[in-house]
Amino acid sequence: MTDQSALGGRDGRGTRLVTPGASLGASEGRRIGHGIVVNDGQMIAVKLGAVVESEQEISILPTHTRYTPRPGDLVIGVVEAVQSNLWFLDINAPFNALLPMSLGPGKSEFGGARHVLNVGYTVLCRIQEVDETHSSVVTMKGLGLRRVDSGIIEEIPPHLMNSLFSDGAALKLLKSTTDCRVVLADNGRMWIDGSPSSISSVISKLERVRTMSRDISNLDSMIEVIQAEVQ
Amino acid sequence: MATPPVPELLRAHLNQLALEDQRLDGRARFEGRNVVVETGVLPRAEGSARVTMGDTIVLAGVKFQIMTPYPDRPTSGGFMTSAEVRPVSGVHWEAGPPSPEAIELGRVVDRGIRESGCIDMEDLCILPGEKAWQVILDVFAISDDGNLFDAFATAAMAALRTSIIPGERFDVGEDRPLPVSKTPMMCSYHRVGGRYVYDAVRREEIGGGERIHITLGDDNHVHSLQKGLKGAFTAAEFNEIMEHARTRCAELRDLINN
Amino acid sequence: MGGYGDVQMIDENGKRADGRTAEEIRPVEINAGIIPVADGSAEVIWGGNHVIAAVYGPMEAHPRKIQKQDRAVLDVRYNMAPFSTTDRIRPGFNRRSREISKVTAEAFDSVVMTELYPRSKIRIEIEVITAEAGTRCAGITAASVALADAGIPMTDLVISVASGKINGVVVCDLNKEEDNYGEADLPMGVCANSGDLVFLQMDGDLSPEEFQIAWDYNMGAIAPVHELMIDALKRSNGGAE
Repeated sequence: MTDQSALGGRDGRGTRLVTPGASLGASEGRRIGHGIVVNDGQMIAVKLGAVVESEQEISILPTHTRYTPRPGDLVIGVVEAVQSNLWFLDINAPFNALLPMSLGPGKSEFGGARHVLNVGYTVLCRIQEVDETHSSVVTMKGLGLRRVDSGIIEEIPPHLMNSLFSDGAALKLLKSTTDCRVVLADNGRMWIDGSPSSISSVISKLERVRTMSRDISNLDSMIEVIQAEVQ
Repeated sequence: MATPPVPELLRAHLNQLALEDQRLDGRARFEGRNVVVETGVLPRAEGSARVTMGDTIVLAGVKFQIMTPYPDRPTSGGFMTSAEVRPVSGVHWEAGPPSPEAIELGRVVDRGIRESGCIDMEDLCILPGEKAWQVILDVFAISDDGNLFDAFATAAMAALRTSIIPGERFDVGEDRPLPVSKTPMMCSYHRVGGRYVYDAVRREEIGGGERIHITLGDDNHVHSLQKGLKGAFTAAEFNEIMEHARTRCAELRDLINN
Repeated sequence: MGGYGDVQMIDENGKRADGRTAEEIRPVEINAGIIPVADGSAEVIWGGNHVIAAVYGPMEAHPRKIQKQDRAVLDVRYNMAPFSTTDRIRPGFNRRSREISKVTAEAFDSVVMTELYPRSKIRIEIEVITAEAGTRCAGITAASVALADAGIPMTDLVISVASGKINGVVVCDLNKEEDNYGEADLPMGVCANSGDLVFLQMDGDLSPEEFQIAWDYNMGAIAPVHELMIDALKRSNGGAE
């Protein structure tokens, strides 16, 4: 029951891996996606990854990349610092996000932010806005946005999110085969909640997928790992 | 892959796992990671080793210098250990002068070796009161996924045991192997989820409490102990890990001596 | 000066002491992904040199005063391990390491798309494990592979190689013995695809003709090393050919 659409609509084998600086020929009016720049009509790869092309668009599926916040993204953040009326969250991006008191999880007096969310706490939140320097403001006002106080957070390379977990099929498989509650956030973090042993089984599956994910032609076998019943 | 900074959640999960006597990576409480020791890996060092334990990788290199013996011990050579944990080895290691933790690492490794008497300082004398060998041991982290202490101590002994004193290069006699009469080994334990585990990975260190390092020589003589970080332990807990250290140090010793 | 006039570094067949021709580089081996905990990493074994590089980031830049409002800061550290040379190197930063770190950072500033990550920091850690002449070049080459391995967007890969002169003869990629008699050293960092230079140093004495030969030797060494870099990145990232 391997779902082909989980492969992003392409055959996992025979991918063309390119390195930064590689020339990809003339753009010929195609849409230019991730990891490519155009110089004098000539396309140049700027990331290590697999070329994904169709008649309309060409992009690179990177083997490794950093999360870049976009408005509306669901993210898992960890409180790194607290000030009297705001929190700084690590959201796995190149810069911390800001959670102002007004968008926080509860009411508190000025200076009481620490009593609501302390350093080291984990929260589910959404990107509210991103300015031109990529600094982002997050909100916890919304359905399901809250403090996470059980389970564990694992990191998934963002490119795996685009391929393996893009349409939710692999995630469903993961949930159904491990009896865990799993929330996949857009910033490459996964919240896994359940009994300690079922959490361990998710972690071990993810560990195997992560090792395999360096090889981007491996999507089929990654799905098999996710699918496998826990012994 | 960077370790997610989730101390609160991680600590809670480690506590949960401990209740079922489990660990993050599925190991048993006193089960170590596979240890791989390679010697002769640094061509510019007079003795060297590379130790890999899971994703923790370290190097040890031994160099020799000629020193003037200290006036109170005119027939003794010297031994010095320096530990470097440079920012190459992990996102959490900062640039700059050695951190207190790196200094502690070097000193604990140094004490275990020095106090075991495995290096005969008198044997390092070249000309009493004037010339003696100084043995300089550099331990260097490449990748830190926890328990640098044991990795360093293991690499250090493997490097020392394969060292050649470069007499010819310094024009003071022939090259000869550095005599190392004993093999002190270190075992480290971290409090994780309320109880002690052996050979913690980085995430167990982050979500854990205090740690205890035990260096045992041949015949299980104790040569160095160190308790680090905030926390307290009972005599019964110590006896339990000491018991394990005796077995494990012997296993590691066999690994080095072969 | 002087004293090396009688040293025969090149024989009558144009072969060097280690059997290489004048324009030939030493054997090179490159591997990517060698440091499990790093975002990207590589090792370059270039002749007797063994250099490793790790990349971390882009990440929040601390302290705030080092942040650049319009781009990421490249935080490069080149360092020689204490056991990397015959005489032990005392740990700690020195002027030479600091200068090499600076010019290396500036070389990569020209190819890394730092404008995509304003106010952040990308750490590039270069450690010389074993040194045998030409460590700064091996370091830049290793850092290039580590950056690509970390998924850092960059417009080109930088390859660095040096040529020099021994006993009046220009040769490429001097080894330790040759370096001891070296009369000139011309290290260059070249973008593999564009051919642009992003790193250049020189010291010694070269005539205009010798300079041109050294330049051409360096340029000639770029393509073969580039192939090894691509191969290393493909091997560690499972690229099917």
